Amino acid sequence: MPGLGLSAGITFAMLTLVVALPIGALLWQGAEFGAFGIWATINRDRVRAALWLSFRLSFLAACFNLVFGVILAWVLVRYRFPGRRILDAAVDLPFALPTAVAGIALTALYAPNGVLGGLTSQIGWQVAYTPWGIWLALVFVGLPFVTRTVQPVIDEIEPEVEEASATLGASRWHALRHVIAPMLMPAALTGFALSLARAVGEYGSVIFIAGNIPLRTEIAPLLIVIQLEEYNYGAAGAIGLAMLAISFTMLLTINLIQIWSRRRIGHV
Amino acid sequence: MHIQIDEIAKDFGTTTALHPVSLSIPSGALVALLGPSGSGKTTLLRILGGLELRTSGRVMFNGQDATGLLVQERRAGFVFQSYALFRHMTVFENIAYGLRARPRANRPPKAEIERRVLRLLDLIQLPQIAARYPTQLSGGQRQRVALARALAIEPRMLLLDEPFGALDAKVRKELCQGLRNIHDETGLTTVFVTHDQEEGVELADLVVVMSMGRIEQIGKPADIRARPATAFVRDFIRA
Amino acid sequence: MSDVTLPTGPARRPARYRSATAEPPAARLTLIAVAVGGLGLLVGAPLLIVFAEALVGGWAAAVTSLASRDAQSAIRLTLLITAIAVPMNAVFGIAAAWFITKFDFRGKAFLITLIDLPFSISPVVAGLCIVLLFGANSALGSWLGGNGYSIVFAVPGIVLATVFVTFPFVARELIPVMIEQGHAEEEAALTLGASGWRTFRTVTLPNIRWALLYGTLLCTARAMGEFGAVAVVSGKIRGQTATMPITIEMFYNEYLSVAAFSMAALLTGFALLTLMLKTALELRHADALSATRRH
Repeated sequence: MPGLGLSAGITFAMLTLVVALPIGALLWQGAEFGAFGIWATINRDRVRAALWLSFRLSFLAACFNLVFGVILAWVLVRYRFPGRRILDAAVDLPFALPTAVAGIALTALYAPNGVLGGLTSQIGWQVAYTPWGIWLALVFVGLPFVTRTVQPVIDEIEPEVEEASATLGASRWHALRHVIAPMLMPAALTGFALSLARAVGEYGSVIFIAGNIPLRTEIAPLLIVIQLEEYNYGAAGAIGLAMLAISFTMLLTINLIQIWSRRRIGHV
Repeated sequence: MHIQIDEIAKDFGTTTALHPVSLSIPSGALVALLGPSGSGKTTLLRILGGLELRTSGRVMFNGQDATGLLVQERRAGFVFQSYALFRHMTVFENIAYGLRARPRANRPPKAEIERRVLRLLDLIQLPQIAARYPTQLSGGQRQRVALARALAIEPRMLLLDEPFGALDAKVRKELCQGLRNIHDETGLTTVFVTHDQEEGVELADLVVVMSMGRIEQIGKPADIRARPATAFVRDFIRA
Repeated sequence: MSDVTLPTGPARRPARYRSATAEPPAARLTLIAVAVGGLGLLVGAPLLIVFAEALVGGWAAAVTSLASRDAQSAIRLTLLITAIAVPMNAVFGIAAAWFITKFDFRGKAFLITLIDLPFSISPVVAGLCIVLLFGANSALGSWLGGNGYSIVFAVPGIVLATVFVTFPFVARELIPVMIEQGHAEEEAALTLGASGWRTFRTVTLPNIRWALLYGTLLCTARAMGEFGAVAVVSGKIRGQTATMPITIEMFYNEYLSVAAFSMAALLTGFALLTLMLKTALELRHADALSATRRH
C-alpha cells in the first residue's frame, strides 16, 4: 500500500506539534517546579477548595446524568411518541452548543431575576451564583454521554431475554432490576465516567453562572486562568497537572470497566 | 395438564398469521407443531405461552379458561430458539432466576433453591457447570441450561420453539433423546415447534402439521406418514 | 379433534394481557414525561432564552449590535480560525486513519490513545500547555518572539488551541469506517495500475466521504464554539484576538446583553444547523458512518 511516508509523516508531525509538545511543556514545567512546589501550590486553601468543588460537583452532576441519561435512552429506544426524533436530536445539543452560549443562557434563566430563577427564589432556592448553578451547568455539558453510550446497548437487547424473564414468572419490575439493569450497567458507567471527566475540565458554561467567589464557587479551571492572568506560570502548571492526573485516573477507570465487562458478558 | 385450543386466530395488522385453529392436547403428551416457516406454528406456541395476544378464540388449561392469564401467571416453561439465557448470570443464577423472582411469601428458602438447581443440573447431566457463564458454554449445553431454567419453576407445561434449530446433527440427536427422557421422567405436557419433519415424526407422540396459518393434519407420526390427509402434508413429509 | 364442549360460560372477559416486554401504560407515560420535561428544562429552555434575550429590543437592535466593529471583527476572526483549523484537522484525520488502517505496526493502540487524548483534557489545561510551550517565558516562545513571530496572544495560538481541542473528531470517525472496508478495493485499483494518489481519490475517498463529512461537521461546530482553550491563549485583545465566544463574554461582562445574546443566537443558529445536518446524515447514510457513531 502506498502513502506510508506521507501519512505517517503528517500523523506524527501533527501529533508532535499539537499534542505531544504542549503536553510535554506542561510536564517540563511541573518537573522544573518540583514535587514540593506543586504540593505547596495545591495545598493552599483556595486551590484545595476549588479542586474539591470541581470534583464533588462533577461527581454529583454525573450521578444525575447517569439516572436521567438511562431513562432518556430507554424512552428514546423503546417508546414511540410524536416528537421522538426531535427529542433524540436535542440530546446532542449540549455537544453542539458553544459552552459560552450555554453559560450565559443558563445564567439568564436561573439568575434571581430570570424566568426560572425567579420561580426558584420564591421557595428560597437560589441556583445562579451558588454551587447549584455550577451543578446545573455541569449537568448540561455532560447530558449526552450516558444516553449515547447506553442507547445502542438497549437497541441490542433481544426481546427473548425479557420474554424469558416473564415466562419464568418474574414481574416487569424484577426483569428491569435483575436482567436489564445489569446489562446496561457497563455502558452506563462508561458514560458516567465520560460525563465526569468532561465536567471536571469544564470552564465556559460554568464561569458565568458560578459567581466565582473564592473558596465557595470557584472551580479549578478558573483558578488556572487566574494564575495565568497574573503570569504565575508555575502555579498554573501545578494545578493543571493535578487536573491532568485526575483526568487520567478517570480514563484508566473507563478502560478497566470496559475490560471487566467484556470479560464478564462477552461484549461492552 | 390438558390443553384445549378453541378457534384461536391471530392477525398482525392486515396479515393473518393464524386462521381459527382448534386443537386438544391430552395431558402428558409430547406434541410437535410441524410446518415450514410462516405456517403459524411459532405464533400458536407463543399464544399458548402468553407471549402473544390472540385476536379471537380461547385457550383452556384443564378445562379452565386461560385466555386472559398473564405470561407470569401461566407457569409455562418456555425454551426459546436462541435460548435467551441471561448473559450476565452464571448457569446457577440462570436456573434459580424463576424461583428467586417469586414474591417473598412463596419463595423457597435459599437452601431449597440451591438443592433444586443442583438437582436440575443433574437431570440435564451437566452437574459441574453451575459457576460458568453462558458465553463459556457450547450450543448444546446452552440448550440444556435453558431447559433446566424452564423446568425450575415447576411448570404446568413445557413449550419449546425450535429447540434443536441451532445445533449440528450429532448434538441434535443426543438432545432429542434428552428431551424425550426428560418428558418421560416429568410427565409434563410438552409442545415443541419444528420445521424438520424427521425431528417431529421421530420424537413426538402426536404431530400437528401446519401450513399458511391452518392445521393441515393432526395424528400419530405413523398415521401421518401412512395416510397424509392433503397434498401439502404428503409433499412436506416426503421432502 | 372435535371436542364440542364449548361451555356457555361468562361473556368474554376483557383481556388482562400485558406485553411481556413493555412497561404498564402509566409507567410509560411517566417516563416519557420525565424525559420530555427534563430535556425541555435542561436543553429547550436555554435554547429559547438565547433568542428571547437577543430579540428583547427587536430585530433591529439585534442586527445593529452584530454590525458593530467588535462584533464584525469577532465574526471574521472565528471564520478565519475555523477555515484554517478544520482543514488541518481533516488532513490530519485522513492521514492518521490511512496510516493506522492500511499498515501494520506495533503500538497502534497507543497511537490511537494519543489521538484521543485531547478529549479527556480540560480545554483550559490545553490552553495552558500551549502558553507554557510558546509563551513569552518559554525558551521557544522568546526565540520566536525575537524573530518577530508571536504564537500566544495571536492568531497562530488560537488556531493551535482549536486544533488541539478538535483533534480526534475526524480521525475517530474515519478509523472504524476504514477498518470495516478493508484494503481489497485499494489493492484492486493498484494492481490495475492506478497511482497511489489516484487510488485514494477514486477509490478510498468515495467510500469515506460521508464519514469524513460527519467528522468535519462535528469538528466545525466545536471549532467555532471553543471557549476555554481560546480564552487562555488569545489574551482576549479586543478587535484582534477576540473570537465570537470570547466576544460574547466581553459583551456580557459589559452588560451589553442584547449584543451578547445576538452573537450567541448566531452561534446557536449554527449549532442547530449542525444538528440538522448531522441528523440527516445519520438517517440517510447510517451505513456509511462508523458503527460507533454515538459520541
